[in-house]
Amino acid sequence: MASRKEGTGSAATSSSSTTDTTGKGKGGSGDSAVKQVQIDGLVVLKIIKHYQEEGQGTEVVQGVLLGLVVEDRLEITNCFPFPHHTEDDADFDEVQYQMEMMRSLRHVNIDHLHVGWYQSTYYGSFITRALLDSQFSYQHAIEESVVLIYDPIKTAQGSLSLKAYRLTPKLMEVCKEKDFSPEALKKANITFEHMFEEVLIVIKNSHLINVLMWELEKKSAVADKHELLSLASSNHLGKNLQLLMDRVDEMSQDIIKYNTYMRNTSNMQRQSRGEPPLPEEDLSKLFKPPQPPARMDSLLIAGQINTYCRNIKEFTAQNLGKLFMAQALQEYNN
Amino acid sequence: MSRFFTTGSDSESESSLSGEELVTKPVGGNYGKQALLLSEDEEDTKRVVRSAKDKRFEELTNLIRTIRNAMKIRDVTKCLEEFELLGKAYGKAKSIVDKEGVPRFYIRILADLEDYLNELWEDKEGKKKMNKNNAKALSTLRQKIRKYNRDFESHITNYKQNPEQSADEDAEKNEEDSEGSSDEDEDEDGISAAAFLKKKSEAPSGDSRKFLKKLEDEDEDSEDSEDDEDWDTGSTSSDSDSEEEEGKQAAPASRFLKKAPTTEEDKKAAEKKREDKAKKKHDRKSKRLDEEEEDNEGGEWERVRGGMPLVKEKPKMFAKGTEITHAVVIKKLNEILQARGKKGTDRAAQIELLQLLVQIASENNLGEGVTVKIKFNIIASLYDYNPNLATYMKPEMWQKCLDCINELMDILFANPNIFVGENILEESENLHNVDQPLRIRGCILTLVERMDEEFTKIMQNTDPHSQEYVEHLKDEAQVCAIIERVQRYLEEKGTTEEICRVYLRRILHTYYKFDYKAHQRQLTPPEGSSKSEQDQAENEGEDSAVLMERLCKYIYAKDRTDRIRTCAILCHIYHHALHSRWYQARDLMLMSHLQDNIQHADPPVQILYNRTMVQLGICAFRQGLTKDAHNALLDIQSSGRAKELLGQGLLLRSLQERNQEQEKVERRRQVPFHLHINLELLECVYLVSAMLLEIPYMAAHESDARRRMISKQFHHQLRVGERQPLLGPPESMREHVVAASKAMKMGDWKTCHSFIINEKMNGKVWDLFPEADKVRTMLVRKIQEESLRTYLFTYSSVYDSISMETLSDMFELDLPTVHSIISKMIINEELMASLDQPTQTVVMHRTEPTAQQNLALQLAEKLGSLVENNERVFDHKQGTYGGYFRDQKDGYRKNEGYMRRGGYRQQQSQTAY
Repeated sequence: MASRKEGTGSAATSSSSTTDTTGKGKGGSGDSAVKQVQIDGLVVLKIIKHYQEEGQGTEVVQGVLLGLVVEDRLEITNCFPFPHHTEDDADFDEVQYQMEMMRSLRHVNIDHLHVGWYQSTYYGSFITRALLDSQFSYQHAIEESVVLIYDPIKTAQGSLSLKAYRLTPKLMEVCKEKDFSPEALKKANITFEHMFEEVLIVIKNSHLINVLMWELEKKSAVADKHELLSLASSNHLGKNLQLLMDRVDEMSQDIIKYNTYMRNTSNMQRQSRGEPPLPEEDLSKLFKPPQPPARMDSLLIAGQINTYCRNIKEFTAQNLGKLFMAQALQEYNN
Repeated sequence: MSRFFTTGSDSESESSLSGEELVTKPVGGNYGKQALLLSEDEEDTKRVVRSAKDKRFEELTNLIRTIRNAMKIRDVTKCLEEFELLGKAYGKAKSIVDKEGVPRFYIRILADLEDYLNELWEDKEGKKKMNKNNAKALSTLRQKIRKYNRDFESHITNYKQNPEQSADEDAEKNEEDSEGSSDEDEDEDGISAAAFLKKKSEAPSGDSRKFLKKLEDEDEDSEDSEDDEDWDTGSTSSDSDSEEEEGKQAAPASRFLKKAPTTEEDKKAAEKKREDKAKKKHDRKSKRLDEEEEDNEGGEWERVRGGMPLVKEKPKMFAKGTEITHAVVIKKLNEILQARGKKGTDRAAQIELLQLLVQIASENNLGEGVTVKIKFNIIASLYDYNPNLATYMKPEMWQKCLDCINELMDILFANPNIFVGENILEESENLHNVDQPLRIRGCILTLVERMDEEFTKIMQNTDPHSQEYVEHLKDEAQVCAIIERVQRYLEEKGTTEEICRVYLRRILHTYYKFDYKAHQRQLTPPEGSSKSEQDQAENEGEDSAVLMERLCKYIYAKDRTDRIRTCAILCHIYHHALHSRWYQARDLMLMSHLQDNIQHADPPVQILYNRTMVQLGICAFRQGLTKDAHNALLDIQSSGRAKELLGQGLLLRSLQERNQEQEKVERRRQVPFHLHINLELLECVYLVSAMLLEIPYMAAHESDARRRMISKQFHHQLRVGERQPLLGPPESMREHVVAASKAMKMGDWKTCHSFIINEKMNGKVWDLFPEADKVRTMLVRKIQEESLRTYLFTYSSVYDSISMETLSDMFELDLPTVHSIISKMIINEELMASLDQPTQTVVMHRTEPTAQQNLALQLAEKLGSLVENNERVFDHKQGTYGGYFRDQKDGYRKNEGYMRRGGYRQQQSQTAY
């Protein structure tokens, strides 16, 4: 958990030290190349701006992160968005665009090393096959690259939500093999908890900016600060539940599929042993050679469910706190 | 000579046989025309007259014709084959030839054939093109004909010198033949006959070409007479003893077998044309019958021709002096019947003949037995009149048929000593021995059943919107009367099985008719003295309900075939339903268990079943039992093929999917128009029932994610209504129902009512019910009640409490009804509320879960199923690896339900050791 809360007012005090101590990133990620991600304030603002300009609803925005690797720290100093795709510019060459962009940035003396990418998310539903695949290709090409996930909805509620993820080495192995059969995954001993590792994020600003922030905080109205204290929860919670439910459904289906597969295989074993087959639910399936279902999807779904649960837990905990606070205030006023 | 040919030919001809058959077939295809060209045949019949000589010669000419045809199509193989046959036939005719001299036509063919072969032989190019069989046959035939012709050299030369001779002579001989079309044919024969009489030797070659041309002109002719050819070749083969030849002739012979009757019939048809001659043929025929045993039809046939002039003189069925006895009449009858069902039989003539025979029989006082027997056959012939199953009887035929059956019934009723039965053998029939009871083979029931089917067919094929249909429908009374008579007759004499069958017929004519008299009687209970005479008369007829009851009960008790009983039950239910005896109808339907196994029945029964279900549904609706109505109609309506399922028309959509044959079959299954159930009424009843069920249900389960549809059809209509970009006032019945549903959703019963019951809907639907007003009152009440329910479901969350009196005013229902409806809703836990008796108010409870709670509940449920599935996976793992599969399975089952976790643990403990 390296999410860093940064209200409009709360600012990083010093440029070199981490202000965030709530992170409890996985200790086991020692063998990974990057232990910390240091993001420039500029990058954060650019990402937020990008989403606000182009993203809405379930639509996600993506972009490229630029920076440098310093020891075990990844410094992200700049970024640029991928252009918004429409149907009619199908022949748009993304790679070409990226190269162009990077060349141009180099001309103005900005870091031009590709160190990852960012993506916005809708209620935390980012653990998908697409993300896995692209992050795999990034990490395969540039070992240190990370993906930044920006959750605009949470941010709008008052707490900046920005997280950096990397695929675990184990998952990298599995992806390299491209074998997602149950056996392979079992051998790799991979579970949904060990798919992504979160990397600590530090937001670093220059002193000048910090000073400006202090100034701004003084000027800002009180109401701006208290978005945090909104008691309306049902909408957000409902959405989360809905999404969670959808995933659970998917999971269920996946399990049923797997179950059928298991039944078929065990039936075949039984047949080879001359025992009567188990009661078959659907006879037609018996004659197809059982195809081991790809388990990666269910892993991803499990991961997603996990994220949702965490989100809900976090959200409800905060909300409960707020409610108690409101109650106390009420009593105090009376 | 024939010997010479038999020795010379066999190998080649047999080898070429297979190829041959194919070639000859197209020629054979022309036989179909045969029946139309009656005059030709007749001529043939007449021309070959007098003696064995002519018979033989005709054989020869026929063969020759075949050869000429084969020559025309350059089919040498065929030529060879026929040539061999010709040789044989000639050998057979040897004795006559010896007497009369070599026939000229025979010489001519020999000469022509030789010329033709030479020509072919010279034509090197053509020869190359020829197929192998033909080429081989050509060389063989050429050699043979050379050898053969040596014997006839003098004749041939003679012929060639003098090819066209006194045709007139022959024409004179055949003066009876008046038809011009046959002149050429005549000529040919004439020439040959004349020529052979002359027996001249020496003839110049080269004229043959001319003949060939001539033959081409005769094309039509020769085709027409091919029949005869086959006839003759056939008889040739049957005459000859050599097996090999018979094999060769197999195809023509079989054709002969088929064709032989045709020609007879053609003859007969021609006969009919000349009415005065009508009877002589039978004379001939009877003669022939005698001769048939001699296995020599051909010969006999010619002799009949010989008898021609004689026949002319006596225009009677029987020879002049013949004493009309039973035996003779029966024999005649059999003769006529033998032609029955054969191709080319002129069926109209046959019927006429039979009628004539009846007349003769009655004139000669042969007794009723014979008359009955012949009548049976007349009716049968009437049915046979249309060879095609799809076509229907012409009105005059139909009338004739009805009359005939009526007459037959008259006789049967008048003569109780006549026994009629299918199982009486022809031999054991007793037609005239008056001392003993008369026994006649035949089944009156079958005839009547067939008559009924014909009636259905007529109705099916008449445009239902024409006056004609009405006219036909008037016959229904007659049909019913006949069935009733048969029923009475069989009740006395028939077996139970027969009675069942005739009862079923009766039922089938009764079940769909609404008994207005009984209905009237029910409405106006007997007032004793005030009964007018008319009423009396009306009441004389048996109440159709009683009748149905009686007939059906008999069938239930006595029938052994499932089909009749099934039909009877269905008709009975239908009848009950039609007369609004819902509970009887429903009980009968449930007790019969027809719903379980109706899909195994044949399509007509299934159609009847569908009709019954629909009628049942409509009946339920009339009684105000919307739910039952909906259930009964669901199957029919949800398929969207109600029209097809009820046998009331074919769907255009599936027209491409079926072929002609299927379509015909389906067309035959159609229910006649006067039995139709109004489809719009059906749909309206269904939709209104669905509306009354669905709208409150939808309101009650607004937020329930697992809400299912009661009626897909209804939802479909709603969606269609929603999709309309511009919503005008409703036009069609469906639009009315959709508009009414929308009003009901709001609890606006008045608007709903005005949409469901108005002028348009009355005209379209409601007035079609026998008791329209009762139905309408019921409907209004239903709408009020369901609207009230909908209103409470939809708006209960807005109220803290609501006075029942207000509700009663709003929905114009009396207080106790409102009270009972609300109580019911509370009991069923549809409405979370309680009644406050003193103030007459409904107090709402807030127990509905909030959106979040709902979601959470759903999630919990889903997780439950997820866990369950997961455990099953786990089971597999255990089973596969642990070897305790079976025990665990049991354990799992035992602990299913709320004890699942315990079960889960138990499994673990089991696997532990």
